[in-house]
Amino acid sequence: MTIGSMLGDIVESFFKKPVTIKYPFAKSEPPQDFRGKVVWNAETCTGCTLCVKDCPSNALELFVVDKTAKKFVMLYRADHCTFCGQCEVSCRSKSIELSNDQWELAATTLTPFEVYYGREEDVKTILEQAAQTEAGPSQGEQAE
Amino acid sequence: MNISINPIVSLLIFPGGLVLLLSGLAYEFVDRKLVARFQNRIGPRWFQPLADLIKLLAKEEIMPTGVVKGLFIFLPIVAVTAILTAALYVPMFGFKPAFSFSGDLVVTVYLLSLMTLCTGLAGANTEDRFSLMGATRALTQMFSYEAPFLLALLGPAIALGTWNIGQINSAAGHNLWFILAQPFGFIAAVIGLMGKLELPPFDAPEAETEIVAGALTEYSGRGLALFHLGRDIELVIGLTLISSFYLGGLGSPLDFLWKTLILLLVTAGLQSLFARLRIDQTVGLWWRVGSIVVLLQLLAIIIGKVVGPLIPFLARG
Amino acid sequence: MGSEKKPEKFVVSIGPQHPALKEPGHFEFGVEGEVVTSATARLGFVHRGMEKGTESRTWVQNLYLMERVCGICSHVHAMAYAQGVEKLANVQVPPRAAAIRELIAELERIHSHLLWLGVAAHEGGFDTLFMYSWRDRETVMDLLEAITGNRVNYSANVLGGVKIDIDEAKSAALLKGMDFLEKRTQHYMRVVTEDETFLGRTRRIGTMSPELALRLGSVGPTGRASGVPYDVRVDAPYAAYNEFPVKVVTDTAGDLEARFVVRIKELYESFRVIRELVDHMAAGELTTRIPRRMPEGEVVSRVEAPRGELFYFLKSNGSDMPERIKVRTPSLCNWGSILATAVGHKLADMPMILAGIDPCFSCNDRMVLVNRGNNLSTWSWEDLRQHGIEYYK
Repeated sequence: MTIGSMLGDIVESFFKKPVTIKYPFAKSEPPQDFRGKVVWNAETCTGCTLCVKDCPSNALELFVVDKTAKKFVMLYRADHCTFCGQCEVSCRSKSIELSNDQWELAATTLTPFEVYYGREEDVKTILEQAAQTEAGPSQGEQAE
Repeated sequence: MNISINPIVSLLIFPGGLVLLLSGLAYEFVDRKLVARFQNRIGPRWFQPLADLIKLLAKEEIMPTGVVKGLFIFLPIVAVTAILTAALYVPMFGFKPAFSFSGDLVVTVYLLSLMTLCTGLAGANTEDRFSLMGATRALTQMFSYEAPFLLALLGPAIALGTWNIGQINSAAGHNLWFILAQPFGFIAAVIGLMGKLELPPFDAPEAETEIVAGALTEYSGRGLALFHLGRDIELVIGLTLISSFYLGGLGSPLDFLWKTLILLLVTAGLQSLFARLRIDQTVGLWWRVGSIVVLLQLLAIIIGKVVGPLIPFLARG
Repeated sequence: MGSEKKPEKFVVSIGPQHPALKEPGHFEFGVEGEVVTSATARLGFVHRGMEKGTESRTWVQNLYLMERVCGICSHVHAMAYAQGVEKLANVQVPPRAAAIRELIAELERIHSHLLWLGVAAHEGGFDTLFMYSWRDRETVMDLLEAITGNRVNYSANVLGGVKIDIDEAKSAALLKGMDFLEKRTQHYMRVVTEDETFLGRTRRIGTMSPELALRLGSVGPTGRASGVPYDVRVDAPYAAYNEFPVKVVTDTAGDLEARFVVRIKELYESFRVIRELVDHMAAGELTTRIPRRMPEGEVVSRVEAPRGELFYFLKSNGSDMPERIKVRTPSLCNWGSILATAVGHKLADMPMILAGIDPCFSCNDRMVLVNRGNNLSTWSWEDLRQHGIEYYK
């Protein structure tokens, strides 16, 4: 029967620094396998669309510019993504993976969340097609 | 120190009034910061209590249905008034009490309890079940700690032969400090203070996880701000009383500062060590352990007072 | 002579919004003074329609949906689902994958029990224990982040195996973490069993005898604290529990203190099993091939979540979307124990008794038809839609 069994903890903590990390002034490094924003490589993609089919939240969409020349554009909706990693597992050519350094994705508008991955000229083609077919095209952020 | 201040200034600015309010906020900050450091976290910044006060004052005050309107608005004001009046008889900041008369010890303790009574009434005033339970618990707790706390404060009074706080304050530093001469009284006084202020582990009247906010559940805006302010000032006054009685009197502001802060450190440590006691456990603890300890202490004092003058006779004979 | 005066019923309702509850649920306690005389419960505030949602997603997508049934036990939900699907498709996961599943499950159990320790201490007003146990829980979260990539919702499972591997660096970090946590857990065991004020809140509160526990069907640590020696990991081993078994931890007292002690002792078991796994895990592949269309059939999958027995029923009609998935979570079985043991205690003990079974409200909300008559009926999807439209008119 003790009274004040946490006395040792209390006294010790009084002379130590608090364990709180003062984010955003001090950040901790994410580990190597951290599941951050999805990154797609246009060079190696074969266009099998397994990642699109397997995504649980329909965050990926593949546009075909030229099937035989393997020119594709991937639309990645970061606001739908749950960062589960299934696309990385389903891909047979290792073209899509989850980065471990892009994870501070908060934004005040929706535009940063619609990411178009692909070669520059392909993305421009797709965006022009979208502008022609829709009344108000959504201008997405272009990335490679 | 014996400088005399114009009574109006003393009431409104220093050492009453404005400076008292600000010191109440400052002590609340120190208390929260200490408890946080004991729990290995950072704690709030220095202006947090002030920010809380301003935020509460800026919010809408919602009057629930079924209350007696006059009582609802009046009770917080009476509570703060009682506390501020009690500060007049206590050696705040190391200066002589602004007003003093023989027997003002009882009046001060009564005024401090008036705040708890106001809280209890405020809780009983509404139709809300949680407030009613909180009010019941607050009044029950008051019945349990009041007697040992008063008796613990009476220990130095009896030993010094006066019931005037100002005189006790000046005389307490001349002999052995009462914390060493009457240790049980000191312990009872500190724990009684924690019961009076409803600090953990005696915070059953405002147990957040059981009855939301206890007696003050229905209050918001200005009324809640006044109750919180009253509680903060009660903390300062309680600490001042105990350090002036048991820690050798308060002679100067520096004295006041370090003695009350040491006491606050001990209180904050006690706050973080224990789980919350149920209300029946609190009452049981006080009436069984607390009263006996204090009565034994009083007995020791009385025997000392009676036997003391006889010792020269016995030594001669 | 004279009329009988009915005693005044003063009803204190806790929830659906209350500082004691982390999630919404409605409990009504009839009190006289501070003593509770009756208790009823009403759930269903967090119903999300997940079982219906599974019927319009493929088997692969459902893995991630089922993971989000609960935040604290997300891995065991995914594991139960994946095991069920693998049983349907009749494939065996490689031994290394099974071992890694067990490793993550035990890490999750550590995380859940430390979280519960803090929350239960907070309900009892012991904020210091709450802060310290949550500080130590950060060690487990960092370990899980290093291994799987996320602190909650680990997504370690895929259909047919796991998607992450344990290498040298991760193993070393795991062992160091286990040493630190074991030291802290011994300290918490001392606090929980010896601190006077804490014992005053937990000893002989909410006592449930073994017969009552069996009759009410309590599962998990709640039942084991009353002496019911039932643990799915031992009675029906899955994953790698055949090669790396755990011991059943029981206690005889059946009160709140026993529930604390049982969960902390389970922590010791988890530390031991994790150390064994890290040292002796079989080498090999991580996944095996699994078809996209599951053959027809019905299958039952059971695992031991940190709260008790988790039960999955999967039915396939041969396509790539399931026909019906039914989830029965352990918290659903433990509500009866609260309502039965609450009577006679003081109101101040209610939050701790509620927290004692480790309730997870969002896990256990399923659609329930409260039928005041005697006729049983089944509602079709159309009936439900119509009822919803008319209710909100």
